[in-house]
Amino acid sequence: MGEVKKVRTVCRSCHGGCGVIAYVKDGKVIKVEGDPDSPISHGTMCSKGLAITQLAYHPDRILHPMKKVNGKWERISWDEALDTIATKFQSIIDEFGPEYIVIGQGTGRDYESHLYRFANLLGTPNVLTAGHMCYVSRVGASLITCGNLPVCDYAANPKCIVMWGCNPQWTNPDEYKGEGFWRAYKNGAKLIVIDPRKGFLAKKADLWLQVRPGTDAALAMGFLNVIIDEGLYDKEFTEKYINGWDVFKERVKEYPLDRVEEITWVKKGLIQEAARMYATTKPACIHWGVPTEQTNNCTDCTRLLIGLMAISGNLDVPGGNAFFVPPPTISVSRFSRHKDLSPEQRKKRLGGDQYKLASRVALITPKVAWEAILTGKPYPLKAGLLCGTNPVMTRANAREAYEALKKLDFLVVIDFFLTPTAELADIFLPAGTWLEQNHVADNWKRHGYILARQKAVEIGECWQDHKIFMELGKRMGQEWWDTVEDALDYLLEPSGLTWEQFKEKGYLKGEQVYYKYKEKGFSTPTGKVELYSTTLEKWGHDPLPKYTEIPESPASRPDLLDRYPYILNAGLRTPTFFHSANRNIPWLREIRPDPIVEIHPETAKKHGIEEGDWVWIESPRGRVKERAKLNDGIDPRVIVAEHGWWFPEIKDPGHGWEISNINILTENSHESMDPVMGATNLRALLCNISPCEDVSKEGRK
Amino acid sequence: MKKMSLMIFREDCIGCHACEVACKQEHGLGIGPRLIRIIEKAPFFIPIYCHHCAKAPCKDACPVDAIYRDEQGIVLIDNNLCIGCKACVEACPFGAMQFDEDREIAVKCDLCIERLKNNEEPACSKACPTHCIHWGDIYEMFEDIEKKIASRETAK
Repeated sequence: MGEVKKVRTVCRSCHGGCGVIAYVKDGKVIKVEGDPDSPISHGTMCSKGLAITQLAYHPDRILHPMKKVNGKWERISWDEALDTIATKFQSIIDEFGPEYIVIGQGTGRDYESHLYRFANLLGTPNVLTAGHMCYVSRVGASLITCGNLPVCDYAANPKCIVMWGCNPQWTNPDEYKGEGFWRAYKNGAKLIVIDPRKGFLAKKADLWLQVRPGTDAALAMGFLNVIIDEGLYDKEFTEKYINGWDVFKERVKEYPLDRVEEITWVKKGLIQEAARMYATTKPACIHWGVPTEQTNNCTDCTRLLIGLMAISGNLDVPGGNAFFVPPPTISVSRFSRHKDLSPEQRKKRLGGDQYKLASRVALITPKVAWEAILTGKPYPLKAGLLCGTNPVMTRANAREAYEALKKLDFLVVIDFFLTPTAELADIFLPAGTWLEQNHVADNWKRHGYILARQKAVEIGECWQDHKIFMELGKRMGQEWWDTVEDALDYLLEPSGLTWEQFKEKGYLKGEQVYYKYKEKGFSTPTGKVELYSTTLEKWGHDPLPKYTEIPESPASRPDLLDRYPYILNAGLRTPTFFHSANRNIPWLREIRPDPIVEIHPETAKKHGIEEGDWVWIESPRGRVKERAKLNDGIDPRVIVAEHGWWFPEIKDPGHGWEISNINILTENSHESMDPVMGATNLRALLCNISPCEDVSKEGRK
Repeated sequence: MKKMSLMIFREDCIGCHACEVACKQEHGLGIGPRLIRIIEKAPFFIPIYCHHCAKAPCKDACPVDAIYRDEQGIVLIDNNLCIGCKACVEACPFGAMQFDEDREIAVKCDLCIERLKNNEEPACSKACPTHCIHWGDIYEMFEDIEKKIASRETAK
């Protein structure tokens, strides 16, 4: 029996960032615990991270590369796998061009630097991510509006926190974990919660605004109206640093509180109270989540929230929404060699002419990829490489995603398990978990930290994602490094540290400076906060933000209400799962065995639905079933359903992807998406519910 | 005599279940027994856990005296003596007593007694992101929790 060795590392069971001590014995991780010295998580961990040993040593995990032969998976060597992919990709490049290959990832998992480098050096502008409706859309809209992403400065103790469509203690910890928020809250910050659902934070809040799903941009207009009308804004800042202040004010006037109340269902007195509290309690910060992005108002909503931060004098101030200064490293953008993608190739980006903001942040909305595959227009994609993503479960209009990926000539998937998406692949490459990798973690986030994620063990023949891109890239003649660690030395060069030295330190924090705009202005074309956007104007779009009615809502489609009387929020998050992951982890699945749809008790009664019943949820696109949980904390007109559900225990290759997949119900037509970003409406569509006649309470089928 | 126990400040429980998984990991438990468990009734979360009762019904119900209180007041079960009759599971008023179907014995929270010996806090308490799980002598904890309830209001 060997000794127990402690390895200090960093979790990535979600986007990652929490400090972990991994206990290793005889070459195996036997336990993980929070690292009390972590500046991000201070020793706490969540259920997902704590369950990593069950994921890493899961009996279904694929530990070697595989190829599909006559519909069956066969084990192959890394050499054969990488040679096959390189040869296939090269033949496509020679015959058609690199843009015929789509490279994709899911949510941010700390390898975008490597994935983008591979794509850029390959010469394809077609990178498919979750970014069209998650985080990158927020970053993109922030870049054109104020030059950087404003992030809640919890460490500097905000006196008022607006939690706008976010539950960071369960999910969505991009820059900060819920732990930082909680400290600030416990230090006495006032709390305003904007959420269609009465969750824990709504219960704790000083003010809870139960907004109609998808109307956040209109609600922001209401806040702005109150703040401008009552003169609660920072006069010096607005005069000096806002581009288009006068025209912006005129635009805001188009949203009097009566109109906002009608759109958002939030009483105007409550909007007034919340706006006053936010504007007069300094410093105040706004922490916003993906529901604000997962609508056709994606870009404008972010721009309006930045408007609130700016005019209330909370932008780049301690305890407000700050622009964090990163530690000196090679940026993700430079490492990724974005500049090496030729203008000629950039022009070929699918949907690039239409979704200009998506193009600006170097991604495509999935719709244009599916169209290219299924219709051949503007050109038929021939091959794809998807890393850590399960679009069959997580993208709007799942059936279209499934058909497209099935039709693709050649698909490579990098993952831990054979997911419904991975089952459609020709080659499967086994990725290492966060226990199996060396990386400068969080270098893509905008919170001012980088963290040392160091390898605790190696398992099977799995490779960390970074190594896969590197080794495949080298086979295709790309410029990379000999080892993963050599690349990290390069990444760390500006800090004066090598990977080995950085590992010892554990993390670096940038030296924070506030009020940077006073010296340098904002990094926008006018040097000001562009509430009037010269970029959007140049692109031929409305330069001022507005609220556009949700394309499928009671207001826009009264004709559908007879058949689909409820608003469906198709993205309820859970603390145990991360999107489509973890349904096969025993400790986590025991906590949440079934997909849950939340229904108001009155609504449930109308349909003869009781707690625990299986329920059909139906939209104009199709129907799926989930299990009812009655919740009087939602509006009776709203249905809230979990997303990402497939059933790893079903062993056929579909793994039950159609049973409870809420994205079978969501839509992705061009008309329904955000016009510059291509964000899809995942949080607001119309639906109906009915009890499942064909299932018992216990059985799914 | 001291009376050691867990005490969960329910108002601050966010229902993240980190405590449950930390506990399973620490005790090497699979599916089935849940020595700490959070029931979700959003926005409320109700923790189910062993209170290490001074007059423990599980202990009284055990026909073979497998359940005992140690000198710190921690209620423990001797796995070797347990006959798997489930009388303790029936008796526990909190639903905290669990049954391990694999080993056919009752199992319960031991307050991470092995960790306590190493001056480490119980696994559930360590993982909790809102620090709502407390442990120690209950009378000291009562005072502490009163302070915590007041903290946000007084800080304002």
